Order: sequence, then C-alpha cells, then structure tokens
Amino acid sequence: MNLFEVTDSDRKSQYRNMSEVLEACRIQDLSSSTNLKASRIRSLLNAYRLSKAYEPDSKVAYVVEQFPNELVYALGMIPWNIESMAILLAQHGCADSFINLTQQNNVSRDICSFLRGSLGVIMANCYPNPDIVLANDQPCDCLSKLANITSKNYRSPFFSISTPTELNEDTLDYLAGQQRRLMKDMAAALNMEFNEADLDRTVGHSNEAREYYCKTLELLRDYRLPGVAREMLEIFGMNAFGIPENVQLCKTLYQEALEMSKKPENKRSGKRVLWAGQAPDGSHEIMQYVEKEVEVIFWAPLWNSNMMKLDPDDPYRSIAQRAIEYHWHMERFQANLAEVCDTYGIDGIVISNAWGCRNMLALSPMLREVCGEKKIKYLTINVDFMDRNNYAFNHVKNRIDAFLEILKQSHL
Amino acid sequence: MIEQAEIFALMNRNRAEFVKSAGRPAIGWLSIYTPEEILDAAGLVPFRITGEFAQNTSEAGSMLCSNFCSYLLHSLSEGIEGIYDFADGMVIVDECDWRKRLYEAWKKQLNPPFTYFLELPKVITPESKAYFRLQLKKWVAALESHYQIQITGEALRRSISLHNETRTLLQRLYKLRQSDRSPVTGMEALQIMKAATAGRKEEFNRELARFLDDVEARNEPQAKPHRVLVCGSYFDQPELVEIIEQTGARIVCEDTSIGIKYAEGRIEENEDPLTAIADYYLEKATCARMYDSDIRLNHLLDLIETYKADSVIYFTLKFCDIYLMDYPYVMSRLQQQGISVLFIEGEQQMSNIQSIKTRVQTFLETRMF
Ligand code: SF4
Ligand code: SF4
Repeated sequence: MNLFEVTDSDRKSQYRNMSEVLEACRIQDLSSSTNLKASRIRSLLNAYRLSKAYEPDSKVAYVVEQFPNELVYALGMIPWNIESMAILLAQHGCADSFINLTQQNNVSRDICSFLRGSLGVIMANCYPNPDIVLANDQPCDCLSKLANITSKNYRSPFFSISTPTELNEDTLDYLAGQQRRLMKDMAAALNMEFNEADLDRTVGHSNEAREYYCKTLELLRDYRLPGVAREMLEIFGMNAFGIPENVQLCKTLYQEALEMSKKPENKRSGKRVLWAGQAPDGSHEIMQYVEKEVEVIFWAPLWNSNMMKLDPDDPYRSIAQRAIEYHWHMERFQANLAEVCDTYGIDGIVISNAWGCRNMLALSPMLREVCGEKKIKYLTINVDFMDRNNYAFNHVKNRIDAFLEILKQSHL
Repeated sequence: MIEQAEIFALMNRNRAEFVKSAGRPAIGWLSIYTPEEILDAAGLVPFRITGEFAQNTSEAGSMLCSNFCSYLLHSLSEGIEGIYDFADGMVIVDECDWRKRLYEAWKKQLNPPFTYFLELPKVITPESKAYFRLQLKKWVAALESHYQIQITGEALRRSISLHNETRTLLQRLYKLRQSDRSPVTGMEALQIMKAATAGRKEEFNRELARFLDDVEARNEPQAKPHRVLVCGSYFDQPELVEIIEQTGARIVCEDTSIGIKYAEGRIEENEDPLTAIADYYLEKATCARMYDSDIRLNHLLDLIETYKADSVIYFTLKFCDIYLMDYPYVMSRLQQQGISVLFIEGEQQMSNIQSIKTRVQTFLETRMF
C-alpha cells in the first residue's frame, strides 16, 4: 500500500470510514460542550458542516489552523481544518489507532502528536477528499508541511501563502498581494467565479461576529462567567469568522454572558488562572482538577489579533495584518501576555507545553520572564493530549497541587 | 594527498582564530541562504557557525528548550561560551521556526552589536523574488547605517565574482564525484565544504584549485564502490561518514547544506547585483523548508540519477520537524522508484553512534554483497 496515494477517493467511503471510527469510540457529538446554548449551536453547526463536507458536490478546502478562512468562504467552500478534527477525535480518546498507524509508517515520534494524529486520520482515509489544500505557515512550519504532503496524498491542488514575521508596510503589501493572487489561483483551479463582492460579504459577517466576540471578552474581564472562556476558546479554534452562522453563535454567547453578568453570584471572585498553550477538552482530568479550585481562562482567544476588525475598504491588507499578528513572536507575545494579565486580573499562569511543540517550548522561558516581572505565579507542565504514551496525569498532579496551594496561600 | 585534505581540516578547526586575525569586523551566519556576497561587499568577514566547538548545551537548553534542533542548540552554546565574542554579530535567515526562536534568544540573551533576521519566502514566484530583493535592500541599508559605509554596486559585483569562483570550483569537485570511481572521499568532501564557509574565500579558492588539479591527476585504480548519497537536514557527522566509508561504500554526494546545496548554481554577473543575488538564493532553495516537498524531492531524484547513487541515507537531526515530516513522503516516492533508503535520526554530537553503526553496516552490507 502506498500511503501517499488515496486509492478510494469517494466521499461516501470516507464518510463510512469516519463513521466507523465515531461508532467504535461511541461518539455522538463531535464537539466539546459546556452547558451554554451557544455550545449547543456550535455543536449543531459542526455536525452540519461535517456532514456537508462529505457530500459529493461540496467544495472542500483543507486548511491549517490559522488560515484566513474569510478567503475560503468567499469562494463558497467549506474549510476543513486538518488538525482540529484530529484533536476532536483525541478528545474523545480515539487517537490511539491513528497514532499507531503513523508509527507503522515511518512518522517520527518526535513530531508533535497533534500533527501525527492528523496524519494518521489522513492515512486511514477518514477525511473527505479535498478539492484544494491551502496552507500558510501558521501556526508552525510542520503543519504547513503536513498540508503539502496531504495534497500529494489526495492529488489535490495545493496553494500557499507565506506570512512574514515582522509587521511593517512591506510585509503587509507582500502578504496582501499573495492573498489577492490566491483568490484568482483558487478560482481558476476550481473553475469557479470569484467576485470581490463575495469577499465583502464574508468580511461583513466576520466583523459582525467579531463585534460580539469582543463584547463578550469585555464581560469576561469583570465577571466570572462559567463556560464562557471555554466557549471562546472553541470559537477561536473553529475559525469560522466569515459565515452568518458564526455571527449567530457569537451573538448567542454574548447574550448569555450578558445575562450571567447581571447575576450577583457571577461577580469576579476567587483566583483566576490563565492557560497558555495547548488546552485539553473541558472534560479532561487536568482541566477538571484545576477548575475545581480556580477559574480558568484561555490565552489564545485573548490575543490582540482576535480583536481586530477587518477593513471593508481594504480587506486583504487587514487580513494580512491579523495574520502577521498571529505569528509566534517573542516581543509581541510578551507584551500581549503582560497586557492580558493586567486586563483580566490574572493570579497565576499554567504554561502547557504539548509534546513536540517546540514553538511553545522555546517561548516558555520568555513567558516565565513576564510572570517574574509581574510577580505572577506560574506552573509549566509537559503534556500530550493526543498520544497517551507521552503523558500520565500522575506525572503532573503533584506539581499542579503545589501550584494550586501556592495560589491559595497568596489569597490569605 | 592526506596532507592536502588536512589543509581544509585545519581551516575548519582554526576558523575562529583566522576570522579574528582578518582585522575586519566579522558576522556569523547559519543558513546557506545567507547572501555572503553582501557581507563581503560591506568589508565584513562572513563565516558559518557550525556549533561544533560548544562544550555544553544545558544553558542554551534552558533559554530555548532541550528538545530542540541540536545544531541550533550547539550554535547558541558557542555564543554563550564566548567563542564568537570577537564577531560583531549574526545574521539569521528565516529558514525554519526554530531559527526564529534562536534569533530571539540570541538577540535577547547575547545581544551582539549587529544581529539581523532576514526573511526568506517559502515559494518561488516573481512576487516572492521581488519581496526577497526588498528584504536584501533593507538589510544592505541596515549594514550601511550600522557601519557608516556604502555598499557599492562595484563591491557587490566583485564579491559575486569571488563567490561564483568558489561555486565553480566546488562544482568541479562534485563533477569528479560523479565518475564511477570517485577519487574524493566523503570525509574529504565534508572538510572541503566546511572550509568553504570558514571566512577565507580567496585562500580557500586557491587551495581547492590546487587540490582539484592534484586529484584530477591522480591515477589510483580502484574497485567500483557502492555509491551512497546522503540527504537530509544539517549534516556535519564525520563519524557517520567514516562508518559509511569503512564498509567499502563511498559517499558520492551530500544533498545537504554542507554539501551540494551550498555549491549549486551561480549568480548572474551581468544583472543588477541585488536582483541577481535575490533570484539566485531563492531559486536554489531546494530544502524541506519550502512549502512544496516536491521541490526537494525532484532535485533529490535528479541527484540520485546524476551521481548514480546505489543507496540513499536520509539523515535528520532529532527535532528537525520539517525534515521529519517530509520523510514518509520522500521515502515512499524513492521506494516507488526502487531506491533503497536508510533513515537515521541523530544529533549534532551523536551519543547513539554504536547502534547507528550497526544499522548502517547492515543496510549497506546487504546491498553491497
Ligand atoms: S502544537 Fe505546536 S507543533 Fe503542534 S501543530 Fe500546534 S503549533 Fe505546530
Ligand atoms: S536542521 Fe532542521 S530544525 Fe535545525 S536549523 Fe536546519 S531546518 Fe531548522
């Protein structure tokens, strides 16, 4: 068998393959849920988009995590995040067989397990055949490499954009230019029409959703809103800015958050911990354990780049700016962490290093530096939420206990 | 002959002393996509940081992380240990994520007078070439302002020609290795390729020309060896080269940055110098950092054919994610063409050399006999 050529590219078979996995793992709802109404909407939206992607006539674009999906929606395609689907499977404890598959097929165990898991799902032919594969180098080189070899696997056209690291006029021009060209290239490859008006519409939806997203974050500053931080993380990860359903989702969450904020019991109280780095599902033992003691909010959804509205008069340039701001960058990340700590009243930080994520590992010392300057307690944990061979709760439990204890004492 | 090869080994061993004694400011570099021509035209001494002199990587490990590309950890350790204190700084090309993190750590923790991060696109298009040229222009401006100099077109042209001469000589070396009985050993080639980046181009060119004249005159009848091509990430592994060649096989080409990738092509001398430099460096980018893995794969397949390689050894440093991620794909394509590949994951200073030795011997011996 050559793993780099999918022999059965019929989406019905691929759907069957995926369904078998879901059934074997007894997964009914492929979505991490809180008790919020927004969470149920997201769950339905995910289920709908999932089934739609397997339909023979749907146009599916594989994308990497931080791809500017407004561009994909503008062409009427369904973006399929190759990594996040595998993460969802892992959250339900079904990643083992995929990880094993990669191990049998020359994939080094030193590679980040999120990527190995994703490659395993692709090797098992569980994803819907893509019409096109898209990548930028965000969040990491290795994910864009995975996207490229995936395109070989399915013999699909591959398009990429390089996101520069520094933010200045030249880099914005360069990136905006690449995006403009990408739209034309994609349309030509798929034999589709592209109208700028379609991008204007998706930008409008994106901004509308952002509006609610930012308003919810504002509430999160001053209130303890159970489930809201988790839902923000999920919305961030879903990266569905650009479709009307996401506006509905963000609006619902905001309304729920607003209602909650009116209740006296939801005034800020207790210790607040910021989770930096990969976070497991809310049902994961680590999360349950920590959240029993303190309120946890997640760093990634609070990055400045998430607050940015797109400029309707120059969408490419503003999408470019957002993309550059998403890039791992020590100075920008340090400044943002310091700001988030002040704005959200952070008492402690959990720096979660996922196995093989050397970007996060290499930035951790700089994050600890910010904690030192701000005199904020921190805990660094090495975890793996995908490959069970690399992680055991017992290995981190004592350190979490000590961290929580210190936090409690600083309360006195 | 051994004596002559030893000249190159000495150039490597003494690279710091030599660069120091040149009496001009020196700038270290890590990536072969660093246009040395620009540094040279600025009157500086460009030299490659090899990481081989570091004693201990624990401090570098705590600044970055210990599960990191060991070439970069060793390079940072050399910086920490003061081996490059004589140099004005570093230029780090955006070759992979880890180099971005290295740049940040180097600048923050060591903060030499001139540290520069040069962005290099991952696709080859007219737009990316124009963008890379713009980056080079900015870099030139930064050098001019830091050193209060002017980098003239004439100086650039002179430097391009000097570096092209190095390329021509190195290509002559590789041409010799294409013959059925390659007269150059893998160890000689490794020393030569490293010496090429030791900051003494004129002297290197003279020595290499002499070496090539001698080798071409050599008339040592030998048995036709089993021909090995090494490809992969940063490869500076004399022990591994020795192990391979002790089996009776001969390394005929290294598709690595201390190998043919450094020597390929030439810069157009009759064009606008910056445009020519930008085009050259971007066009020759055939490593795993480029988005499209087929760029490297197709280049590798051409090399396998040109060098009539019987076996391929795919070497990657541990934690070099881009080469690791590329491997299953590249391997499957090579196997489809009936090419045997041995995969080795190692470190800059290998601790597991014994087990690697057994694997290499088993792989090659079963193919040779
Ligand atoms: S966890 Fe890190 S290495 Fe893995 S895909 Fe995400 S950014 Fe890349
Ligand atoms: S060996 Fe790999 S990880 Fe190390 S610098 Fe080179 S490309 Fe980057």
